[in-house]
Amino acid sequence: MDESAAIEVAREAVETACGCGAESSEASVSIARRLHVEARDSAVARLEGSTGKSLLLRVFCDGRKATLSTSDFSSDGIHEAVARAVAQAELVAADEFAGLPDETTTELVELELCDSAVGDRESVEKVDEALKLERLIREADARVVNSSGSHYTDAVAVTALANSNGFTAGFSWTRAGRSTAPVALDGTVKRIAHYGTAARHLRDLETLESVAKTAVRRAVDLFGARKPATMRVPVIFERDVAAAILDDVFAAVSGANVAAGNSWLSGRLGTRVGSELVDVIDDGRLRAGLGSAPFDGEGVPTRRTTVFEHGMLRTFLYDTYYARKLGATSTGNSTGGGIGPSNFHLAPGSISLDELIGSTQRGVFVVDTIGFATEHASGTYSRGARGFFIEGGELAYPIDEFTIAGQYAEMLAGIDGVANDLRFDASVVSPSFRVAEMTVSGN
Amino acid sequence: MFDEALLSRLIGRALQHGGEFADVFCERRKSLSYRLQDGRIHDASYGVTLGVGIRVVVGESGGYACSDDLSLDALLHAADAASLIARTAPGGQSDAVELRAVPVAAVYESQADNAPDPKRYVALLERADGTARRYDPKVVAVNAHLIDEMQEVWIATSEGRFVCDRRPLVTLGVQVVASDKKERGSGYVGDGGRTSIAYFDRETPELLATEAARIATVNLAASPAPAGEMEMIVGAGGGGVLLHEAVGHGLESDFNRRGTSLYSGRIGERVASELVTIYDDGNLAEERGSLNVDDEGVPGQHKVLVENGVLRGYMQDRLNARLMGVESTGSGRRQSFRFSPQPRMCNTYMPSGVWDVDEIVASTKRGIYAKSFAGGQVEISKGDFVFMVGEGYLVENGKITTPVRNATIIGNGPDAMMKVVAVGNDSRLARRHYTCGKGGQYVPVGVGMPTVKISSITVGGTQHG
Repeated sequence: MDESAAIEVAREAVETACGCGAESSEASVSIARRLHVEARDSAVARLEGSTGKSLLLRVFCDGRKATLSTSDFSSDGIHEAVARAVAQAELVAADEFAGLPDETTTELVELELCDSAVGDRESVEKVDEALKLERLIREADARVVNSSGSHYTDAVAVTALANSNGFTAGFSWTRAGRSTAPVALDGTVKRIAHYGTAARHLRDLETLESVAKTAVRRAVDLFGARKPATMRVPVIFERDVAAAILDDVFAAVSGANVAAGNSWLSGRLGTRVGSELVDVIDDGRLRAGLGSAPFDGEGVPTRRTTVFEHGMLRTFLYDTYYARKLGATSTGNSTGGGIGPSNFHLAPGSISLDELIGSTQRGVFVVDTIGFATEHASGTYSRGARGFFIEGGELAYPIDEFTIAGQYAEMLAGIDGVANDLRFDASVVSPSFRVAEMTVSGN
Repeated sequence: MFDEALLSRLIGRALQHGGEFADVFCERRKSLSYRLQDGRIHDASYGVTLGVGIRVVVGESGGYACSDDLSLDALLHAADAASLIARTAPGGQSDAVELRAVPVAAVYESQADNAPDPKRYVALLERADGTARRYDPKVVAVNAHLIDEMQEVWIATSEGRFVCDRRPLVTLGVQVVASDKKERGSGYVGDGGRTSIAYFDRETPELLATEAARIATVNLAASPAPAGEMEMIVGAGGGGVLLHEAVGHGLESDFNRRGTSLYSGRIGERVASELVTIYDDGNLAEERGSLNVDDEGVPGQHKVLVENGVLRGYMQDRLNARLMGVESTGSGRRQSFRFSPQPRMCNTYMPSGVWDVDEIVASTKRGIYAKSFAGGQVEISKGDFVFMVGEGYLVENGKITTPVRNATIIGNGPDAMMKVVAVGNDSRLARRHYTCGKGGQYVPVGVGMPTVKISSITVGGTQHG
């Protein structure tokens, strides 16, 4: 992948926009070569390859903003689309906060986002990896009778940005992933589980053996699950489920939601929301992090931001527009069209997950949830869940078909234990944690 | 834009190492959108998706490559990449393909691409905003968006079939937040379909905004949802999300061919109460999920999925139909040229039964009345589902009493369908704004339902006891 070619496309798009009457503009270009292998049983079920490109252009005319996204890089195509976006901007209300950032990054820090081994590797090795993962899950347990496929995916890409203030920069990145979905059968009950790993560098991926083991454990461990009674008990969220809660916390600290009146954290800046154990950090500069980049979608330098410190809400996360609107400074979280996380996480504790479970007399350990919250305004959490009932510090028996519900504010305030199992395998991650008391609805 | 000679050449190239069939999917999509926030047009955007996806199928294996570079070299390179799968599983032969253009019947009008005066979009959004704000002084925020898109597709297959389709899609969505300083409640209503923005002359922004504001104020006044097992009444229209999640996904043929769905191998068996009949239909005028032809070039169809409680059939795409020895049901869909097709739902609904809604409510001792759902999800192997209730009420001793907020319903698909004890005479399709996600691909769908009563379900709320 050629950084300078991507930068050139971005620069030309900015020039076209200014030629079409935009006062200022900014173009982001990404070009990615992707591969996806799916193995199922002993065969390759899918082999997919592509080179995809996209241009995201923002134009500003007298404080009026419009956005263009296109995969048509032909000069006629770009010209027509840009002219249309500029015309659309005329219908948008003038907004004093809209515009390019005041300052963009001047030095490109090296964040180890690119692993040349990802692109150099032979396709046949990648195919073999998916086949081996598929074999491993089927060998791991006699109850694994089927699968929804084992996958290897990777991407080799460049991202470039240019704006009409003369900013141009680009960087290369890679990503690779392994995932699988064993289906286990016990009597007439089928259970499917999903597990995977992803990283910028091949060496940071979990081993095939470890991925297979965790996936199979998730598929078979819940056999014989009962529906629990309705009760209020401590709830431990395993790290994947905990990460989904952090996704919602991210939404609530996103400046866009705060400004739109769509966050339960509105008006709580500088107040204590979480327990002492709640340290939440967004770190765009994490080495080799999946959410890392030298600059954000507007060219603003990324940074490490402490969002919650010992439970105290210190700041929201902003791009340039919402920072101006809310009287703050951009935290380098622009995605070019919105506000996005950069390795947003809850800081790990010092005890293991086993110790956390061991210190719980009676409670629920949640390993999987289904459903998603929609009520960001009121801050209500509610999910279907599966997991285990904890008795005397041990996993007594599996449970499913229940829901857990509560207010995010109460949940963060109720966190009384955090494990040390944090892994940066996505852009929003969390260690496992325990909430002192929540409503579990079953029978 | 994509001629037969080019597509024919690409298919020949894709089959250079063999393969049972190949297809080429070309797409051009243009999408305009406007978003209103804080009482004014906050941003506008224009999107273009343009590219070609090439697929080769050998047995259970599929090779796929796509290109957004339309130069001949890039397209031939993509055909070469797709052809590699045939090396991992050799078989079949390749013949030169002669393409024949096949006309398709139209269930929606493939309107000319003459964009309306952009001021009309802005006016629709402003009318929605004004209506919601006048509805109640407690309305504190209104967000509205309007999307108008046209997707054009050209599909060629190695059997020589060549079809084109133009698929319009408009959506107007209104989200309203009401607040009394202490609590907040929100309501969302969206509508549109495979038509033009003239649709909103009938279903006006005033209607949609009033409904969204009404739901927001109901939710503001609502009590926390109860927790535990109780009866459930599912509201007509939007309640159809229940069918989509609890049954529909489990009847998609990929899961069944692979044996990962709990409905695998059960055609002809009783899977629901005998009151339950479920259709999936790609031929309903204006509906979001309708398709003149699917993304594999097969015409949209009316499918009987469940009839009087008995499982009748799956939704098939070409690859899975071929392996299961049946015909495609026109259910092969994809998000864009970047994705290979999957079997998907179109518009899934249950026809009317015989009960009056009043009778259903009167027969309910203690339950929750879910008038609409804000979303749902299913796990297809065991069939467990969850739904978030968008607008819900308690029913006590045959009467609708207090509104409840943030209820989550959890259950098991076949179990809930067995527990259907009453089906209303008021079946209708929901307002059109649903999008379904599967394997990372999002496609527009429709749902519909009469008022239905389920004898027991678990409600997950925060009020224990």
